[in-house]
Amino acid sequence: MLLNQKEALDILIKYNIAFPQTAIFLDRGDISNLKINYPVALKIDSPEIMHKSDMGGVFTDISSSVELWKKVEILEQRLKEKQIKEYKFVLQEMVKGTEFIIGMKSDKTFGKVIVFGLGGVFVEVLKDVSMRIAPLSIKDCKEMMDEIKGKKLLEGFRNNPAVNKEKIIELLLKVSQLSLKEKEISEIDFNPVIANEKTALVVDARIIREKNA
Amino acid sequence: MKKMLEMFFNPESVAVIGASRKPNSAGYGVLKSLLKGGVFRSKTNKSFKGRIYAVNPNADKIMGKRCYKSVSDISAKIDLAVIAVNSRIVPGVIKECTQKKIKGAIIISAGFGELGEEGKKEERKLLEIAKKANLRIIGPNCLGLMRPSTNLNASFGPCMPLCEDVAFFSQSGALIDSVIDWSLDKNYGFSAVVSLGNSADVGISELLLWAKDDKQTKAIALYLEGLKQGTRFMKVAKEVGKKKPIIVLKAGRTETGMKAVGSHTGSLAGSYDIYKAAFKQCGVHIAEDMDELFEMSAALAKQPPCKNNIAIITNGGGAGVLCADHCESVGINLAELSKETLSKLDKSGKMHPAYSRRNPLDLVGDALHERYVVAIDTILQQKDIYGLIVIQTLQTMTEPMLDAKAVIDARKKYPDKPIITSYMGGKFSRKSIDLLETNNVPDFNNPYKSAVAMKALIERGKWLKTK
Repeated sequence: MLLNQKEALDILIKYNIAFPQTAIFLDRGDISNLKINYPVALKIDSPEIMHKSDMGGVFTDISSSVELWKKVEILEQRLKEKQIKEYKFVLQEMVKGTEFIIGMKSDKTFGKVIVFGLGGVFVEVLKDVSMRIAPLSIKDCKEMMDEIKGKKLLEGFRNNPAVNKEKIIELLLKVSQLSLKEKEISEIDFNPVIANEKTALVVDARIIREKNA
Repeated sequence: MKKMLEMFFNPESVAVIGASRKPNSAGYGVLKSLLKGGVFRSKTNKSFKGRIYAVNPNADKIMGKRCYKSVSDISAKIDLAVIAVNSRIVPGVIKECTQKKIKGAIIISAGFGELGEEGKKEERKLLEIAKKANLRIIGPNCLGLMRPSTNLNASFGPCMPLCEDVAFFSQSGALIDSVIDWSLDKNYGFSAVVSLGNSADVGISELLLWAKDDKQTKAIALYLEGLKQGTRFMKVAKEVGKKKPIIVLKAGRTETGMKAVGSHTGSLAGSYDIYKAAFKQCGVHIAEDMDELFEMSAALAKQPPCKNNIAIITNGGGAGVLCADHCESVGINLAELSKETLSKLDKSGKMHPAYSRRNPLDLVGDALHERYVVAIDTILQQKDIYGLIVIQTLQTMTEPMLDAKAVIDARKKYPDKPIITSYMGGKFSRKSIDLLETNNVPDFNNPYKSAVAMKALIERGKWLKTK
């Protein structure tokens, strides 16, 4: 079962995992009450949608409440067309940096496997990932970062600054800890994790809990 | 742990239950292997030094050996039973073994867990009987076990392998047959060979722990199809790896029809990727194919681990460049020759005027052994060069035997610096290659293989340092 945005955020908070300023609301009427700094990203959160960007459920770089109103209107129209009834809107402060994926998968032989790699919408095309079995050591985390083909992106490339590797290590260790403690959580996708010189933030968290748990 | 499995590797007496006179049966093969060393003729065959008993209720004598009706009829103590009877009567035979207080049984017979649920149930029943009496089981559904140092061939494999320092544990029995055939052709040898079969009782982790303390074993080669307990394997491999290198070839890498899963991570982490990650994490060397499995094992068994900065010496420019390319592709740093090294070479009076003066060090085609001697010694004197690949192309004036001697002498003078050779050639190089290999210098016709072997030594060095 895919956790909803609120439940996923609660897990992040529990493990002290950093994410951008976030607000959850139901319809356009709530917009004037939102306390958030523009620019923002707008996303749909619905148990009926697995990959929200595939259905145009994500808007980025929204710079004002007027623009936000318009985008919400568009999304409401799309939801209506697709007859999706159960949903919420998630608003998130925009973060600049390089996109990575940090994930977890349960394996019947080895248990919890932690994955690190280049993130964003092309992950499944590039498949540039490395992995280790939990619990991770700091050495494991360093090797994971060193093993991906795109490791140069960690050092900074063109407009993207070098990323704070310590923060990525910290995040990998937290995911390792979380995975071992929350036994019923079977899969995690933190994609993208956006990292820059200062920080590494989980911008989108998809957490799957085993049905029978 | 060594003691716990010792009855399998150093028994004083072995009973073959299901000894047979039919040449196409496993029971025939096992008895003949114990009596003669193997079914096929080989110089390596010798009869087992301990006592051998044959059990078959329907025969009086097989291969000149008296047959007992049952293992209970043997009055002497039995350390190891090799069982090659129909699966239906295996439980009864195991019961008799426990009554006879036998501590180790190799069950060759198939027809258990590999058949599915019904077979697994039968397997569990066997284990229950055995556990109560502290009887340990290898198999069922396996080829058996070989221990060349005591002439123990408790298998129906082709013949006894050469006695050397690599232990080979395999989840495929059939593969062992071919590996032994191949190994005799290559003068490759083993400290022990075990076919795991279904691993109902003794599993891969326990064998690793045994090999860790086995004095004859210097490297452990594994052929794996799957692990039952991944995390236990990792823990054991880490512990064993502090003392001895483990090299694995894993089959079943392409997982076709990877199920559509709910997350990106799910589809990114395939089963072989996870195995590979686990192996890296516990310091297990990964071989890509059968050749690499045994070549890396030999290199790790015979040469010391080293840091990553190595040199190449060659008498052929092209071969040197080729080797340098391969080194780079596997992640080996090629060292820069220091001013001091170059000045020593210049002043030696032995170098060709057109020698390369850089790494790869090209001694030029007409190099006689003296040039090799000076080059090898001078290069290894340089402190930050940790290993050496010596290439020899066979020119008409080349002195392969003397060049080999130079390598062997250098190994003695610099015991901490590995040397791998690449004597490129075949027929006319054979004698010198044999000389190198009997002196524990791994040689590869293909410089790529030399690079892979050297990389394994570097990986090993890195792993030992981080512990």
